[in-house]
Amino acid sequence: MRPTRPLQRAGRPASRRPRGSLRGAPHLRLRFGFIVIAMVLSVFGARLVQLQGIDPKSYAAMAAAEGMVQVVLPAERGDILDRNGEPMADSVDGLMVVADPYMTRDRAPELAKFLSSRLDVDYFDTLERLRTKDSRFEYIARRVPSTKATDVLNAAKAAGYEGLATRRDPIRDYPAGDVGANLIGFMGTDEALGGFERTFDGQLAGTDGSARYEIGGGNRIPLGESTITRAVDGKDLHTTIDEDLQWYTQRVLQQTVVGSRSESGVAIVMDSRTGELLALADYPTFDANAPLEASKDDLGSRAMSSPYEPGSVEKVLTLSSLIDAGKVTPRTKLKVPGVLNREDRPIHDWFPHDLLHLTLAGVIAKSSNIGTVLAADKFAPGELYSYLRKFGLGERTDIGVRGETPGILTDGSLWTHQTQDRIAFGQSLSVNAVQMTAAVNTIANGGVRVSPSLVKGSATTDDGTTVGTDRTTKSRVVSTRAAHDMAHMMERVVDPDVGVAPAAQVPGYRVAGKTGTAQRVGADCGCYDDTFTVSFAGFAPADDPRFTIYVVVQNPGNGGGGGSVAGPAFSKIMSYTLRRYAVPPTGTRPSHLPVEW
Amino acid sequence: MSSPAFQIRSRVPRIAEAAVERARLTVVPRRRVRAARMPFVSLVSLVLLGGVVGLLLFNTSMQQASFAATSLEAQAGTLTAREQTLRMELDVLNDPQRVAQEARKMGMVTAGAPAFLRLSDGKVLGTAAPATVAGNVPIYPPAPTVPAILDPPTTYVDPPDTGASTGPSGNGQGKNDHKHHNSPGGTTNHARPDHDRR
Repeated sequence: MRPTRPLQRAGRPASRRPRGSLRGAPHLRLRFGFIVIAMVLSVFGARLVQLQGIDPKSYAAMAAAEGMVQVVLPAERGDILDRNGEPMADSVDGLMVVADPYMTRDRAPELAKFLSSRLDVDYFDTLERLRTKDSRFEYIARRVPSTKATDVLNAAKAAGYEGLATRRDPIRDYPAGDVGANLIGFMGTDEALGGFERTFDGQLAGTDGSARYEIGGGNRIPLGESTITRAVDGKDLHTTIDEDLQWYTQRVLQQTVVGSRSESGVAIVMDSRTGELLALADYPTFDANAPLEASKDDLGSRAMSSPYEPGSVEKVLTLSSLIDAGKVTPRTKLKVPGVLNREDRPIHDWFPHDLLHLTLAGVIAKSSNIGTVLAADKFAPGELYSYLRKFGLGERTDIGVRGETPGILTDGSLWTHQTQDRIAFGQSLSVNAVQMTAAVNTIANGGVRVSPSLVKGSATTDDGTTVGTDRTTKSRVVSTRAAHDMAHMMERVVDPDVGVAPAAQVPGYRVAGKTGTAQRVGADCGCYDDTFTVSFAGFAPADDPRFTIYVVVQNPGNGGGGGSVAGPAFSKIMSYTLRRYAVPPTGTRPSHLPVEW
Repeated sequence: MSSPAFQIRSRVPRIAEAAVERARLTVVPRRRVRAARMPFVSLVSLVLLGGVVGLLLFNTSMQQASFAATSLEAQAGTLTAREQTLRMELDVLNDPQRVAQEARKMGMVTAGAPAFLRLSDGKVLGTAAPATVAGNVPIYPPAPTVPAILDPPTTYVDPPDTGASTGPSGNGQGKNDHKHHNSPGGTTNHARPDHDRR
């Protein structure tokens, strides 16, 4: 071995030296290696501290978020139903169709043609949207029934169009359009904007729920996280409205208002015994499915929000109070002069006449202001005021309609002699139509005022008032005898021989009613401006009343009065109502109270 | 050392020799019984294998159920939407306005005052009168008035004077006709045809 070593050394002198210089000394290499390893390990260590010590949750959250789905479980909005459970407003699952112009721009014209032919959207509008620059989200159609939207999207996919998607967009549908629209109100894009929709939003809206779960490949992972908060659906609102009767009442009212070239009109049908409003029609009205097409003034309920002077219909309240107070009877004889001078003002009747010998029944039948004033002289001071308050005037009915006016009934302490004269025949006080219906219904209901209602059961309005038939109150205003006498006197109004409103008669039935033709106060001058409110209130059958109907028409352009304009409308609606609820005629003899002496 | 003890012992053996003899402990030889290893190992592996396979099957079936649930949920969603759409269509068909329009198309008219036939004695209550077309209530809303911007007054341009044949009186007549056409009454021309309106 030894002799060979030098040989080997001598054999590879060139290779040995460079190798040694490149690798360096072993302990140096070792040290260097350790330093490198230590550096790498300290980087790992720092990263470990960062991951585990500083923000240990964020990566876990990111990992969990991958595949975690959070969805809103939408609560279904409650329906608004009529008294028979027919929906007047209901909710339907809907979708909105949206587009991503970034993806649709290239094939915009053909896609626009496709969409406009299937979705009832405008071609040019859609084309514009599909081409919008710098946008990734454009609405194409809102509130499309979900079956239709899904069909369209599937068809689009089959045809190779890209960039369309759907999102949830519930539809509020009003199947009957304008029927009851003034009461029901309407929805905006995201919130309730008017009527019952807004007043009872708390009850109707419900509460959305939510669900969180993990999915993989579109399916829920069985043992993954899963949290579900169930949605609480809105509760239905049951109204006392009868949809078919409401429709008919609205059409008759429309005929009346349009036919007499009037400004507006109101017609109300009330169940005499329960105070439930079966129909409350306003004209002009609007289509609840398209509220923006109507004038803003027509969106509320004039029956509740516009006060007016009731005129002669109020005589029913004055004279029944007088009878109740024992001051007069239907046969009380009155000498009615052609003009009555009270202090500095003369009072006239609507028709010129000389001295008339009218009974109290005649005063009602002929609607004599002077006769009413003469009879009202028998009231003790403050007596008429307290009766009118008991009839419910000057006080909101609180039936759940927004913006109700309480009307104006001047406090009794401020009444002058002239105030009482005017109030006795229905001027110098104002009412809303439902107040007046309830007041006249007191006579129909045997002298007991039953508070009106529009909601079945009970419901809470947005200002916290509980309304509904559960809250109905009854209070006696006049005696049964006085109400009975008054009904008999009112029957003479529709008598073809002695009354002023034969057109309000319903053939075969005994009808009691009263016309009203009141001067209107102009908004600008604050005085009577020679326009009129004409009205007719009545009930049938007179000897066993079932329904009270009140028709009010504002400013008829044809110069008609309560008997000729509102009377025929009353007759049509009453006839339909009696037929619809199968109320047979009572078959008794009508009233024959003498009107003159 | 042991002998005195033995002596002591040897003095007492007669007292309870048998009992002492019985109580004396002796070391017994250790017995080792080797249980058969095979059954135990196979049992454990069987349990393990069964567990793993069972868990696998259980997971698979849960996954299968999840697929089924997803597809059933989708189906339920579609059916719910379909039901709601159908109900919406039904509500539209039930709309009193539509029913009235259909009835009008069939030639039906609004009924007049009702009369009742009492079955017990055959008496007619009320006044029975035939319903007439005249008693019909108009069921269509009046046509909306056309906004002024859509109904501008017609501009009338005098034709250039070509000769003596067209006198100024003729032009004046034409002008009046056009103006008359623009009167407010003219807007009724836009009303939708309504057979009920008289």
